Amino acid sequence: MKKLILIVSSAVALIALSGCGDSPKSNTVTYKYTPAEVYKATCSHCHGDKGEGKAEKKAPAINKKIVQELELDLFDIKNGGLGQSTATEHDVMEHNMQKLTEKGYDYDIKAMANYIFNTFNINK
Amino acid sequence: MKSDKIIEELLGEIEKYEGKMSRREAMKFLAASPVAASVLAGSIGTTQAKASSSATGKIVIVGGGLAGVSTAAKLCNSLSNPDVTIIEPNPKSVSYQPGQTLIGGGVWQKSDIEYKIEDFLPKGVKLIKDSVVSFDPTNNKVKISSGEDITYDYLVVATGLMLNYGGIKGLEGEITSAGENTIVRQKVGKNGVYSIYFADGAVDTYKGIQELIEKAKKHTGTEKLQAYFTDPSTPIKCGGAPKKIMYLTHARLVEAGVRDKVDLIFCPSGSKMFGVTEYHEAILAQFKARNFKWEYKTNLVAIDTDKKVATFEKTWLEKGEYDEDLKEYTMVQMSKEEERKYDFIHITPPQKASDIVGKSPIGSSKGWVPVAQETLQHVKYKNIFSLGDVAALPMGKTGGSIRKQYGVLADNLIAVMEKKEKLPSAYHGYTVCPLITSIGTVMLAEFDWTAKPTPSFPLDPTQERWIWWLLKVYALKPMTIYGMLAGRA
Repeated sequence: MKKLILIVSSAVALIALSGCGDSPKSNTVTYKYTPAEVYKATCSHCHGDKGEGKAEKKAPAINKKIVQELELDLFDIKNGGLGQSTATEHDVMEHNMQKLTEKGYDYDIKAMANYIFNTFNINK
Repeated sequence: MKSDKIIEELLGEIEKYEGKMSRREAMKFLAASPVAASVLAGSIGTTQAKASSSATGKIVIVGGGLAGVSTAAKLCNSLSNPDVTIIEPNPKSVSYQPGQTLIGGGVWQKSDIEYKIEDFLPKGVKLIKDSVVSFDPTNNKVKISSGEDITYDYLVVATGLMLNYGGIKGLEGEITSAGENTIVRQKVGKNGVYSIYFADGAVDTYKGIQELIEKAKKHTGTEKLQAYFTDPSTPIKCGGAPKKIMYLTHARLVEAGVRDKVDLIFCPSGSKMFGVTEYHEAILAQFKARNFKWEYKTNLVAIDTDKKVATFEKTWLEKGEYDEDLKEYTMVQMSKEEERKYDFIHITPPQKASDIVGKSPIGSSKGWVPVAQETLQHVKYKNIFSLGDVAALPMGKTGGSIRKQYGVLADNLIAVMEKKEKLPSAYHGYTVCPLITSIGTVMLAEFDWTAKPTPSFPLDPTQERWIWWLLKVYALKPMTIYGMLAGRA
């Protein structure tokens, strides 16, 4: 029996050590609109034409955030949280985003973060 | 049927060995195995085959846990003249944290996870046994608690995170998994309040499960004992642990024949079991099969350990006015607090970057060190990199993430040292959660930032399998301790 355990543990170690691929699975998602089109058609209504935010819409300014913060926020919104069962920090926006996605206004997180930063950031 | 019998037999044998043969001996068997040895040798070979760099510069690594030591080892393997210093106050900083769930479930002992940094310090790396008290990235130096300034050319921030028990009203303390914890243990680790997130707490948790079993054996009446399992609203290390300890508690209650006396209730701050749909659905099915209860958007905010009452904040969205711009009804966030009597509660504490890092110039509004997600380079300071729990990266704060990060970081740091414009390596958010679903089964949930399963093996990743239990209990620790800490796996 010792031998069997040895063989099994070795086999497990073997696949664990050698089996893990480094390259990510290619993820070919195509989007209907560019980030600029999505922003103009949807985001701008609440976050403003220049990302300045609108208090009456309870939409914060997004023109001071660095790319990294924007990426994390957008990930949180689209994924509904940053962990397995951790709450999103954007409860309302997560709901809105689901509605926007249904209407075709989806986007690549990195592309959108870069668009917002490059177009609106006032601290650049 | 035949294969089931083999599995049963094998698991039975392992149970027996757990009595007779120490786990350390089992590890020795594994290490002595020719197959494992050849695999290790193979992976060493590939590392050495890479051309080494003659770039020079003083590298300081803040934090000597798994992330810091693996990075140091990788840099030493890749640089012909490495100048690497690690600053770490805790002599047991490389202890194997993923084993804490197994301690809480009574499968391992605390001694199975304790490892000393001295034994794993790569050759030539200088260790400063002290902690950093301030960062001065403009002048390329950090101050340590002795008052001395440590200068650097390149800095790696690998401090890990703080377990903020004090973030729950009624508890006190902000601690690390292997450090001083007296303040937290005043109320956690007794009277039905437990937490596996620090090693001593994990030892206490197994005692707590046994107390719960004894209580359940004596329990009469129609109302069941109430056992809660929490999951906070901050990012946490090992996102699976809050559930793993619930599965293990269930397994121990079943084993003792008292499962029907206890309600097991999972209360996460969020509204799902997992960010990856396939795993979310698999876990839901597992919860239903075990008669678990769960309440989403239910976050532990306060606890009265004398009265045994936990206060949860429940949040939900309500339909507001119609929004012409959005062409949808707006949503309004609502919340209320609810008190619950508990007999047993497992607390996953809110977690944060240490204020020394988070509130320094290298931190961010949320504390975590902001890095470019793929390159792990600091967004403001090009000679600073960060990895592990303290880095501002989505999803994974796990050893499995670090395994894919430290090589990327070392490659990119060396490119900066060589004054290259383009950083060569990229991290794609890979992480792994070996979700322990019983004593003897694990679901190996691998995923990355695409939020899709990324299985390394040609097996359905949503299935609970005994082979992953063997991986978790017998193979991952030697791979981590002897592979990663040497920069080779």
